[in-house]
Parts: sequence; C-alpha cells; structure tokens
Amino acid sequence: MKKLLLVMGLLSVTSLSAEELLIKNVRLVETSFQSGEMTDLRIVNGIIAQIGAGLVPKEGAAIFDGGSHPVTPGFIDSGTTIGLAEVRGLGVSHDGEQAGDDMTAGFQVYLALNDASSLIPIASNDGITRGLIVPEAGDSNYAGQSALVRFKQGPSFLQQKAMAQHLYLREGDRGLAGGSRSSALAGALHALEASARYDRQQRAFNTNKNRPFDLDESDLLALSAVRLGNMPLVVHVDRAADIKKVVTAFSAYPDLRLILAGAAEAWKVAALLSRQNIPVLINVMDNLPKNFDRLGARLDQATLLAEAGVTFAFLSGSPYSETRSLSQAAGIAVAQGLSWQQALAAITSAPAAIWGLEGLGRLEVGAIADLVIWNGDPLEVTSAPLAVLVDGEWVNLETRQGALAKRYVELLNLK
Amino acid sequence: MKKLWLLILGAAAGSAVFADYPSTYDPPPHVAFVITNATVDVGEGQGEFKGWVSVAAGKIDAIGAMDQPRPSAALEINAAGRWLTPGVIDVHSHLGDYPSPGYRAHSDGNEATSPVTAEVWAEHSVWPQDPQFPLALAGGVTTLQVLPGSANLFGGRSVVLKNIWSRTVQGMKFPGAPYGLKMACGENPKRVYGSKSKAPSTRMGNFAGYRKAWIDAQEYQKKAQRYEKALGEYELWRTSNQGEADYKEPPSPPKRNLQMETLVGVLAGEILVHNHCYRADEMAQIIDLSHEFGYQVTAFHHAVEAYKIGDLLAANNICSAMWADWWQFKLESFDGIKENVAMVQAAGACAIVHSDSATGIQRLNQEAAKAMAAGQRLGLAVDASVALTWITRNAAQALGVADQTGTIAVGKMADLVLWSHPPMSVYARAETVFIDGIRRLDRATGLSPVTDFELGQREEVF
Repeated sequence: MKKLLLVMGLLSVTSLSAEELLIKNVRLVETSFQSGEMTDLRIVNGIIAQIGAGLVPKEGAAIFDGGSHPVTPGFIDSGTTIGLAEVRGLGVSHDGEQAGDDMTAGFQVYLALNDASSLIPIASNDGITRGLIVPEAGDSNYAGQSALVRFKQGPSFLQQKAMAQHLYLREGDRGLAGGSRSSALAGALHALEASARYDRQQRAFNTNKNRPFDLDESDLLALSAVRLGNMPLVVHVDRAADIKKVVTAFSAYPDLRLILAGAAEAWKVAALLSRQNIPVLINVMDNLPKNFDRLGARLDQATLLAEAGVTFAFLSGSPYSETRSLSQAAGIAVAQGLSWQQALAAITSAPAAIWGLEGLGRLEVGAIADLVIWNGDPLEVTSAPLAVLVDGEWVNLETRQGALAKRYVELLNLK
Repeated sequence: MKKLWLLILGAAAGSAVFADYPSTYDPPPHVAFVITNATVDVGEGQGEFKGWVSVAAGKIDAIGAMDQPRPSAALEINAAGRWLTPGVIDVHSHLGDYPSPGYRAHSDGNEATSPVTAEVWAEHSVWPQDPQFPLALAGGVTTLQVLPGSANLFGGRSVVLKNIWSRTVQGMKFPGAPYGLKMACGENPKRVYGSKSKAPSTRMGNFAGYRKAWIDAQEYQKKAQRYEKALGEYELWRTSNQGEADYKEPPSPPKRNLQMETLVGVLAGEILVHNHCYRADEMAQIIDLSHEFGYQVTAFHHAVEAYKIGDLLAANNICSAMWADWWQFKLESFDGIKENVAMVQAAGACAIVHSDSATGIQRLNQEAAKAMAAGQRLGLAVDASVALTWITRNAAQALGVADQTGTIAVGKMADLVLWSHPPMSVYARAETVFIDGIRRLDRATGLSPVTDFELGQREEVF
C-alpha cells in the first residue's frame, strides 16, 4: 500500500489534469450499521486521496453530497457468470464451459465475455463492483480459468484475463472422470504431474522428441502455473471426506495456492482449513442437502467458519436467482450469528485478500475508489445503492428493467 | 371433491368405491395460551399494533390491544420485542415431489410423458420425509401448495399441505382445501414435446392442446350430466313405482376418466386453476381461453410480466404469484422487474410472492421485502403491512383457504409466527412457529422437526 501511496502523491502533485471528486457527508460503516464516522472522501484520479471531516474541495473538483448516507467498499463477488450468457436458459448463448474435450485447463472465459451485457448494471444495483467470472465444468474436471471483471459496461469491463484455475470434484462431477471420485482426483493430480514433466522436457517437447503428452500445451501451461503457485487453484468440492483428501493431495505441491469453493461441509473440517490457512468461498443461501455430499449443508456455515478462524468470502454463483444478492447473503449470515463486520468483510476485504486485489475491499487512503453509497443498512434487503463508484467513476445504474417499470407505471397510471 | 362425485355419479352409485384420499391431519390437543406484548400484524395490510392474541383448541379466540382486557389462559407467552404475524403461505412449491436429496430416484414432479396429464396428483409423489419441509418451517412457512411441474400443458392436481412432520402425506393434507390444477404456458411444454417431435412444439400448439382438452372435458361433463339425469329419473321411478311390473335397470355410470374428472372439476368450479405463465400477452390469451370454456383462472404463477396487465388481472379477479427478482434465466423471463409485485398491487390486483424454490421458501418475507422496497423506490404506496399480505392473506385466498387461515382473525386456525425482528428485515428469524396452535418450531428450546432422512446423519442442522 505504501508504494501505491507514493505513486498517488506524485500524481496529485505533478499532474495538472488531476481529476478530483469530493464526496461530502457519508458515513463510513465498518463494524455495524449503527456506528461509523461521518466523513468526506477526496478522490483523485480514481484513488482515495484523503478521508476526513470538512475537506475543502480543490479548484475544479466535482462535489457530491452523500446526504449522511452510509458508504461501503464496492462488493466483490467471488464467483458468478455475468458476461457469459445473456439468457442462461437459451443454451446457445452460454459460453461458460468447454464441451467435447476431456481436459480443458487451458480454457479461458475472458475470450467470451460480453462487456455490454445487460446483467452488468444488475450487479451494480446490488452494490457489486468486482467479480470473478467462473467457468463451469464441461467435460473435464479442470474447467479452465476464471477472469476478474469490474462491473461497468464498456471496454474497462475485463480487469484480469486469468485469475484462477477451477477444478470440479463435487458428487455430480465424478462422471467427468469415468464415474469415480477416485479417478477424478487421480486424474487431476496426474495432470499436474504431466505439467511438471512438460516443464522439464520443454526443449524435447518443442522438437517432438519427448514421450507424447495426453494433454494439449495450453493445458500443460495452465497447470504449470497452478503447480508453481502463479495462479490459485479453486477446488469446487462439498463433502468433508473429499475436502480432507484434496487438502492432503495438493499439499504435495508446496507452492500451490489452494482455495475451496461451495464446500458445503467445510465447517466439519474447519480446524484443518484454519490450520492450513485455506480460504473457503461459500454461497450462504445454498443450504440444501441436495445430494449425499451435502448432508451437512447449513445456513450458519459462515458463523462456524468464523469461530474456527477460517478465512472465507461469499459468492453468488449466478446472476439469475435470489442467490445473486451478496448483501442479502451477508444479512442472512448476520441473522445466523455472524457479526455485521465479518459479514461485510466477507464481501469486501476478505475476497480482496483472497484474490490479492490490492487497493480493493477497504475504504482507506490510497485505496481504489470502488464504493457504494446506500439508502439504508447495506446488508438489508430493503436497501439499495444511491450511487456506485468504480475506479473513481460513477456507474450508470439505469437498467432496461427500470425503463420497463417506468413505461408501465405511466401506461397504467399507477402513481 | 365429494360434492363433485355426487354430482357425477349420484349418491347411490357406489361413492364408497371412489373414496377420496382424505386428510388424516389431526393436531393433538393443547392447553390454551395467550401471546402478549407482541407487535401484531394480523395480515390485512392495515398496519401493526402492540397487543395480544389468545388461542384455544387450535383456533384464535380473541385479539386485543395491550390496554384491552384479555382472557386468562393456562399459558402466557410474553412476546416483548417480537413481531407476531400469520403463518407464511407458499402457493408454489415442489417440496416432497422434488425433494432433497435430488436424485432421479426422487424426482417425481413432472410426468413429462404426455402434454396432458391432468390425471396425475402431486400428492402421490410427495415424500413426507423431505428435509426441505423443516427448512421451510424455519422460514415461518405453515401452509404450502405442492404442484406438479410445468413440462405439460396440464400438469395434474396440486395438493395443499400443513407444514408438519408426518409419516404420510395424508397426515399433512390441509383438511378441506380445494385441489388445484397446474397448467403451463409458454416455453416449457413446447420445449419438452417439441424436442421429442411431438405436439406442442409452438405456442400455438400449446393453445390447440388446451382447447382440445377442454372440448373433451365439456363432452365428458355432458355425458356425466346425462347420466345424472337418467339416474335421477330412475330414482324417481324406483321410489314411486316400487313393486310394479315395468321394472327398470338403473343407468350404468360412464367409465371413469381421471383426466376428465380433474378438468370437469375445474369447469364445475371445484378445482382451482394455477397457471404457470410468464408473459403478459400469453396471460391475456389464457384469459380468453378461460372465457371460451367458462372457467376461472385463480392465479398466474411466475407472472413476471403481470405488471404490464395489472388492470386486466384486476378486472378478471386473477391473482399473480411472483418472484421478487428472478429474471433472465430464460427468454420468457427477460422482462422481469423488481417492481412487479408492487405494481400489480398498485393496479388493484391480487399480488402474491411465491418461491418455486426450496431455497426461496426459507425466506419469503425477505423476498416480499425486496419487492416492497423496489415499489417504494418507484414511488408506489406499499408498506410493510401490505407486503405481508403477499405471503399470507393473498396466498390463502389463491389456495381457497382464506376462510381458515392467512390472517389472524377470531375463529381461524392458529397458524402464527413470532419473529425476532420486523418481518420485512433480513435479520428477522422465525423464532417460534405455531400450526393450529401447536408449537412446531421454537429456537429457544431447540424444537424443530427432524425428518427420518435426517435422523442420525443431519440432526445438528437447525
């Protein structure tokens, strides 16, 4: 953060074209909705330059009156599919998985992203400013690489092409590897080993002199990155017994950065996850025992993970249903015993830390100005953003849904 | 249904053979109690008050404000700092017919083998040990309608259940609740049968299918009426000419047709139509269809475009059952908006928030709250009390049980929820849930049903 501050300082001093936005009178809520200091935020070139009461605008600064409303960092969704399909049920327009190949570690969703998707402003209206766009399992347990986006329509949508590799080892996914979870896990490890051999024999590979690989070069390169810790590995797995096996198996690779997703029964092995410092991404509302891997699924999982000292963040999984609202998920977690502060952290600072997103997830000097000004308690289902800032720029909150509402309110004279 | 069979077959024609599948729900006796100091919303959309509600023999027997005298009861429950509402009602659920775990072996919601399966009954698919029932109870749901799926034009009969643990589905059946008929518009039937190169494969094919079935039902109804007339004549002859020589054989009843029985039940006004229909233009056409054949649509379900035709729905006395914010998962939900429920309410039509989801059913109050807040942001006058009617009174009305539950009123079933916070808050948990005056969930004492499936492997999950 210090480096960033230095750079910032230089910018504000030397750049004559520095753009300043001064947000007056917002309440910085961190520990609870009731507490939080009334303050102003000075934003210069997309970075929070100063926080304090009574800040004086520089000449030419844009001023926004926050009306004493609460402000939070923009929410970070640790797993959704926005940009991969406009209408999920159509099938034809869904680009989140690669079929017909038994190994797709090299698959990258970013090439398919639609930066004009009508679902982007829907996320903005839920207070979400960044998110991981995650591939789903096609015909391979390794589904490929997620991308990081900023929720803003247009060319700045894509932030990072490849964030993480995704490996699916849930009950339904073993079908991808011959019907047994044993072969699914063995296959995943075998592929990592192949990537190591590839690294050793790169010259031979390039001259076709090595023993042939059963993987494409793009898969081998992708898995090398995972093995060497250049890209985290997100394992989508539910059953406690499987989580233990995954943790043991991948601990053979000291540099590999393991993250669990879904993880319905993570609470049963919370001590292990805490000890090994393995973060968990959970969908709070997903508490159904939908299969025998998920018998331990429960609504208060976040509370149990917090008590055990496990790092966790929330994901929505889908933009199409009630699970898409991260603030609702966080509110439910509070009702189930998590502290308000930890619930907010699970959609702001915790995912920023898990994904290594420097400058995001916190409102502090030097941070990137991703923030949301709310009309009420940010975790309440009745609240909504009044304004959303991404990289210091206002996000257009208008949606085609809003236009439809307006048309029919007028047509039916409902007001 | 008994009345219908009397109509078709006459009293003497062997109604014992065609016995119903009756409810065996029989709540145990309990001591009378009074809940005091609660913030009460009776579910009529008229706001809340600090007061008491007294319950005896499973029924609400008196209601009053705190300064009004209350009857003495064996048990007094001090609900200070709690909110008391009617039990939550979900008009659209697949608990039991699409249970968890959700394997094919359990997947009994869609008889997707023919576009017209009005002959199937959802209750014959319901697994009462579905662990999703207690999860719904934890969300305050006391009554729910379980429907067949939407693969078919006519999916079959629904069943209304009390959300209690029982060995049998008969033990959960809401006594005296009318049956529903599940119908479906749009994409699902045409996709399911179109992909098998069978009719319907288009929306016009859907309509041809509805009309053909209703024409058949009218024929069957006429046949039944002819039989009824002949039987009446025979009975008259038998009672007035006993022992005389011109002995007549009694008329033989038409062969039973389960499919037609359900459809005739709709035409006779005994079975309520619950029509899965997303798009406004299709709902308008279904209304024409109902006029052509002289039946009433009780509710459109998944009515994501109801806001476009609130006036038409109000004029035709049709409820809309809606999600707060599901959209764009399929093309016919592309125009879904968060303001939908509030706009239907503002148009003077009956608005309901439903789930169609074992996840959503756990928090219908939050879904109603989201829909309310979206309406308020649009400037519509919907408050928390009105929003509560979307998951209580209006839902009871659509299920034909509003005379028995859905509001806190003297003489109604004591289906009640005590909440930890205002019910439209995300922080609100159902702390205590009563069904017919019986405490079925109580967080303070850890009381919650444990299904057979959960026993010994999932008991710790509240």
